[in-house]
Formats: sequence, C-alpha cells, structure tokens
Amino acid sequence: MKFADFVSRGAIRAQLKALDKEGAIREMVQSLVESGKVDAGEFESIVKAILKREELGSTGIGRGVAVPHTKHPSVDRLVGTVAVSSGGVDFASLDGETVNLFFLLISPPDRPGDHLRALENISRQLRDDTFCRFLKQAKTAEEIQQLLDEADNNQFGS
Amino acid sequence: MSDAAVTRTVLVANRAGIHARAAALIATLVRRFKARVEIVKGNARVEGTDVLQILSLGTGQGEQLSLEATGEEAPQALDALEDLFIGKFGED
Repeated sequence: MKFADFVSRGAIRAQLKALDKEGAIREMVQSLVESGKVDAGEFESIVKAILKREELGSTGIGRGVAVPHTKHPSVDRLVGTVAVSSGGVDFASLDGETVNLFFLLISPPDRPGDHLRALENISRQLRDDTFCRFLKQAKTAEEIQQLLDEADNNQFGS
Repeated sequence: MSDAAVTRTVLVANRAGIHARAAALIATLVRRFKARVEIVKGNARVEGTDVLQILSLGTGQGEQLSLEATGEEAPQALDALEDLFIGKFGED
C-alpha cells in the first residue's frame, strides 16, 4: 500500500495549531471534513472514537510520531491524513517525547487488513531517517505531499 | 549472562494482527526484562523495543514470527511474550 492509497491530498496540514492531543485530533478530523472525505455530521462521533482509542494506550509510537486512528461505520474505505506540528504536541507517547508528525487513519469496520498495511507502509517509510526528518521540517502541505509522493516512488532507502 | 540466543516461534492469532496497540504491548513487555529481543519475519529483523520497527513487519492474522532473545532474562522474556501472543493481546 502507498501513501497515495489512503492520504487525502486536500487534508494534509503542515502547521498544526493545537498544543494538546484532543486539539490535534480535532484539527485533523476537521481537515478531512473540509476536504470532503468525512461527513460533517460525523465529526464529533469520529473525534470521540479516536479519543476513546487513545485511552487504551497512546498511539504516540515514539520518535516524534503518532498514528491516531479508529474504525468508523461512516467511511467505506480507509481514509487518512498527515499533519506536522513544528512546536510538538504532548501525546503521552511511549517514549515520553512530544509528537511532531501525525498520521491519522479512519477505517471501515471489518477491514483490519487495510489498516495494517497502512501502518506497515507508514512505519517502513519512517525507518528512513532522511524521510522522517524532512517530513518534520516541512513548512507547507505541498512539501509534505511531495515527500509522500517521493516515498511512494521509492526515492527513500527502504 | 550468556550470549547464546534462545528462540521461539509464535503465531499471530488475533484477527487484527500486529497493529499499533499490539506492537506497543510487545515493546512495553520487552522493556521489562533484562534481555534483548529481536523479532524476525522472513528476511526482516527488528528490535522488540521499537514499536515503529515492529509495525514495519506488517504482520497479519495467521502469520508466524520468530522471537530471538539474549541476556540474563531471555527465557522469561520469551515466556511472557508467548503468553501475550497466545492471549491474542487481550482481543477477539
């Protein structure tokens, strides 16, 4: 699976304003509403589901990366977005570091395979330090998109 | 402390496979032991303490992983990990 298969182009955000976990999640889900990938009427329900998942254990998986996610019946295919926070967000990560790089995923129920392949792609690409560093330094959505496209075209190591 | 690795093969039985929470449980468990645990799938070998690396294996239901541990508490670490896999990470 490639980034292009699940990252919604219009929803990418380079400068997250939020300073806390809930605010960051709200901003990213809102970006999916604005890009037409998620129904505005489902906004609160999706945010609540993602926050509930965070209660089971933070999706801040270390190295300044978080993958907040949920299953939700309002989507019929995997939708996702990428966001960067230059200041960092306290996400109660496993390694205690703040998070600069977010991959938010919303999956249809009963499609664990797609979710797993998206996580595999994200984590495999992020093992490349150059890709990871460039993403965290990106200042515009266009820069992020370009980096994702380059990763999809195997221009970073892994 | 012995350098000889102890190994064990585990089956991923839970429906969702090794997703973020399962990977976090593995990494958190490994950190509790005086042992280094590597997880091997095919040609890929990753650190058992690194969630990002574990997720990069993309392991789904029905797949097998090889666990290789070294260090003072290597056998105990593998026992605990095996229980986690058998218990399907508390899922299903």
